[in-house]
Amino acid sequence: MNNFRYFPASKRDIAKLYRFLGIKDKKELFGKIIGDIPLIDADAFKILPEEMDEEFLNRFFLNVSSGIPAKDKFSVFAGGGIYSHFVPAAIDALISRSEFYTPYTPYQPEVSQGTLFALFEFQSMIAEILGMDVVNASMYDGAESLAEAVLMAMRLSPANRDMPASHKEDIILISGGVNPGCDSVIKTFTGGTGVKIVKIKLNGITGRTDIEDLKQKLASGSARVPAVVVQQPNYFGIIEDLEELERLIKNIAIEPLFIVSSTEPYSFGVINPPGFYGADIFAGEGNSFGNYMNFGGPLLGLFAAKKDYVRQMPGRIAGKTKDGKGRDAYAFILSTREQHIRRGAATSNICTNSSLNAVRAAIYLSLCSKTGFKEIAFLNLKLAHILRDKLLCTGLFEPLYSGDFFNEFSLKIKKNKNGIGAALFIEEMAKRGILAGIAASESAIIISATENNNISEIEKYVLNAKEVLYA
Amino acid sequence: MPKFPGIRGFFLDEVPLLRQSSRGVRGVSIPDCGLKKTGLKKDEGAYINKKFIRKDPPNLPEVSEPSVVRHFTRLSSWNMCVDSVFYPLGSCTMKYNPKINEKIAGLENIKNIHPETPSFLIQPLLKIIHDFNCILCELTGLAEFSFAPQAGAAGEFAGLKIIKKYFDMKGKNRKKILVPDSSHGTNPASSVLAGFTPVEIKTGNAGTLAAEALEKYISKDVAGIMITNPNTFGIFEKDIRKISDIMHKNGSFVYMDGANFNAFLGNARVSDMGIDIIQLNLHKTFSTPHGGGGPGSGAIGVVESLKEYLPVPYVKAVIKSGANVKSGVVDNGHIKQDIKGAIKAKGLKSGSGLFYVTAADKKYTIGRMAPFLCSFAVLVRAYAYLLSLGKNNIGSVSEIAVLNANYVKKKLAKILQGSDPFEEGLCMHECVFNDKAIEESGVSTLELAKLLIDYGFHPPTVYFPKNIHGAIMIEPTETESIRTIDSFIKAVEEIKFKVKKSRAVKSPQKTKIGRVNEVLANKKPVFKY
Repeated sequence: MNNFRYFPASKRDIAKLYRFLGIKDKKELFGKIIGDIPLIDADAFKILPEEMDEEFLNRFFLNVSSGIPAKDKFSVFAGGGIYSHFVPAAIDALISRSEFYTPYTPYQPEVSQGTLFALFEFQSMIAEILGMDVVNASMYDGAESLAEAVLMAMRLSPANRDMPASHKEDIILISGGVNPGCDSVIKTFTGGTGVKIVKIKLNGITGRTDIEDLKQKLASGSARVPAVVVQQPNYFGIIEDLEELERLIKNIAIEPLFIVSSTEPYSFGVINPPGFYGADIFAGEGNSFGNYMNFGGPLLGLFAAKKDYVRQMPGRIAGKTKDGKGRDAYAFILSTREQHIRRGAATSNICTNSSLNAVRAAIYLSLCSKTGFKEIAFLNLKLAHILRDKLLCTGLFEPLYSGDFFNEFSLKIKKNKNGIGAALFIEEMAKRGILAGIAASESAIIISATENNNISEIEKYVLNAKEVLYA
Repeated sequence: MPKFPGIRGFFLDEVPLLRQSSRGVRGVSIPDCGLKKTGLKKDEGAYINKKFIRKDPPNLPEVSEPSVVRHFTRLSSWNMCVDSVFYPLGSCTMKYNPKINEKIAGLENIKNIHPETPSFLIQPLLKIIHDFNCILCELTGLAEFSFAPQAGAAGEFAGLKIIKKYFDMKGKNRKKILVPDSSHGTNPASSVLAGFTPVEIKTGNAGTLAAEALEKYISKDVAGIMITNPNTFGIFEKDIRKISDIMHKNGSFVYMDGANFNAFLGNARVSDMGIDIIQLNLHKTFSTPHGGGGPGSGAIGVVESLKEYLPVPYVKAVIKSGANVKSGVVDNGHIKQDIKGAIKAKGLKSGSGLFYVTAADKKYTIGRMAPFLCSFAVLVRAYAYLLSLGKNNIGSVSEIAVLNANYVKKKLAKILQGSDPFEEGLCMHECVFNDKAIEESGVSTLELAKLLIDYGFHPPTVYFPKNIHGAIMIEPTETESIRTIDSFIKAVEEIKFKVKKSRAVKSPQKTKIGRVNEVLANKKPVFKY
């Protein structure tokens, strides 16, 4: 009798193991361990089929693959938190090395120097891009990362030191330009703490966080504000004026922490990074760096902070040190913050994170190099502006906001005789092989363009938009 | 053939890429995008306000593609991994990661799908999520799963939030979660994050939690218990049903940390143990790669009464027959998929009248955990793993895992005499030893771990669980041969009887670097170049 290919034990080996243990069979083995909990067998499965041989399995998934839009025939102009960027072949080749993808967390640094060194380079490069002091070795995704940033700010808030458990008086001010998905995740994480989440309005003209509204909310009442959260560029693609926000926040008596998020840190190849404006914490999405969209996950949470706050940071941090002989060595450091040491008093419950995606990002950014990163970022900027200009020229759209943008922007579909709104527009365009954007309201859509979209795709978008809306 | 895989070391050194830079060099091709005619002459200032423009570009390395490839290839050679060594890291289930699953997850169309692509274009992907959900329900006996949690700890958090929300909806304020002292550190950490106070239950030397011992912790303030089964000693909680009954009688919930699900996958169901909520670590039991620390997935399953509390969004099937529209996940009998049938029909045009959609209509949902639906690339590997095994092989996974662990336990107990705290009974998928016997030989647990490296093995989990002195926790998994396990045992034997202290303190010696100075690392932390 043959064994299944993932099991090295032959039927004879299994019999040998049973003999060695003095046990007759599976029934006796489990019976001795789990007592009267019933044993199940293949009959318990109605949906799980019989085993599939490898070629059959392969075909099964090739069919799945051919039943969804083909990469080369489907143009993606949707962003909204995840962006279609070019992934060089060298990344897949390197990441397919078992030495990277099959170990676990480097608990034994002497045999994990590869991962630790790569994560240290990741942290260094991300710190450069963000202009921040300390970057951790990754979080799950931008949303969870941002939620953890809010919790960290609550721990750090001066008032919290006297009364650690109660946040009933606390208000977190969140810009209306923060990705609604991230917004919801913050609510899930802070739900039990009593803290209140208050939205800051967007300026109706520019689409930037409304300074007057923020001023009012910071001044009103005696509530404590542990943090102000803004996204750069924001959900609608608009570049926030972080300078103005910084000036305002840093003038408050009990200074809130300035948390900057981003779902598209590629923008920092063109615009000033959060660290430039004194951000205390950066928490955002890093999937744009060398990772695929993968239908939404797994992603790459980036987390960075000023050096002073490092002991309140969540997650693993790779550090540089020496071995006994004075050679350079890398290890996870400051682990007394973490759950496996601190249990209930840890800064976070995170254990498994997005390590492999972080290594992908390290490889990607190395390949891009200093000049490539900047040029690709500029290319994004340029393509998005070309697309927007061309769409506005059709007369079918009008700008939703006037603010500057990077590779994403929002337009309103003007009233048309077919009464086509955002949702229907996206559906019709999708039938024509174009993912036209994300519906932001009944009539507004958020559109992005990256280096993965060339001029002929842009022209195809414009042509089809005309057909859909004229028809 | 040598007795042990670790013979000698050969390493190529590497300096940081930043120190290999040459001005203007890069390793990426900048796409033309059809912009040749217009060129890239205009500067950024032509598009956005100059005050936003970054003047100093980030100081990334300036290196070519071959330099990057050599750099990271060399780095990779400094790692031990499942594909190269026996990796018996207890509680982490370091089983083999099937290669076909990598190929499938890497299919060009699948990995390039944007999560906001309209449902009608991605029916086969939504169907995978739905069907995988159904299969996990079969494996656990629970009613529905959510794939929102990105890892085990996130699953714990979601499960506890569900309990919290349940009591909130009932207008009750139950504050405590019972957590055995042998639990994973994530358990108390997740409890705090979800707004509970974790109460540690002392498990003592018995190895299991006795139902009677639980009684004194019970009060109307207890929202639930987080129990790892088999526990972190690798021992099945015999009283699990009694424990569940006590909790349920008190109106409390039983959360099971499913990190150790590989112990009875396909042979027993958690529903038969009275479990209300469980998280399944797809990167452990379901063979998806650990990635050097992630990404993983912590799918969370619940009983019928908690379905409406699950995170959103989720995938549901909608069935249309005439005017009737039914929808849901795992609606027994009504929405049930014949996977093989669907293959013949190319996964989509099965004409069954079924349509899959993303929905957020959960009445009491705890909300969102992640920006999008799920970690699809992890999920699709786990699904492929289950389809490969099929119902005829699934039960062998835990059977062999348990046999292997007991083989290690019985053999090592003879070598490490007096070190098996639970010598009498059988363990499940992993076994734990204390450091009594090796201490007698003058070797500490840490030294044993480092010495094993020189023999060519990844060390087991050490110093966990905390209540076993100098704990050594070994999980061989079902994907290791007896030959490999024998070689590992032989190495432990040599360490116990032959190794001199002078060598132990210097180990490991065959690795790229020697023992790391952790004091220096933490005293003067260096976070970046």
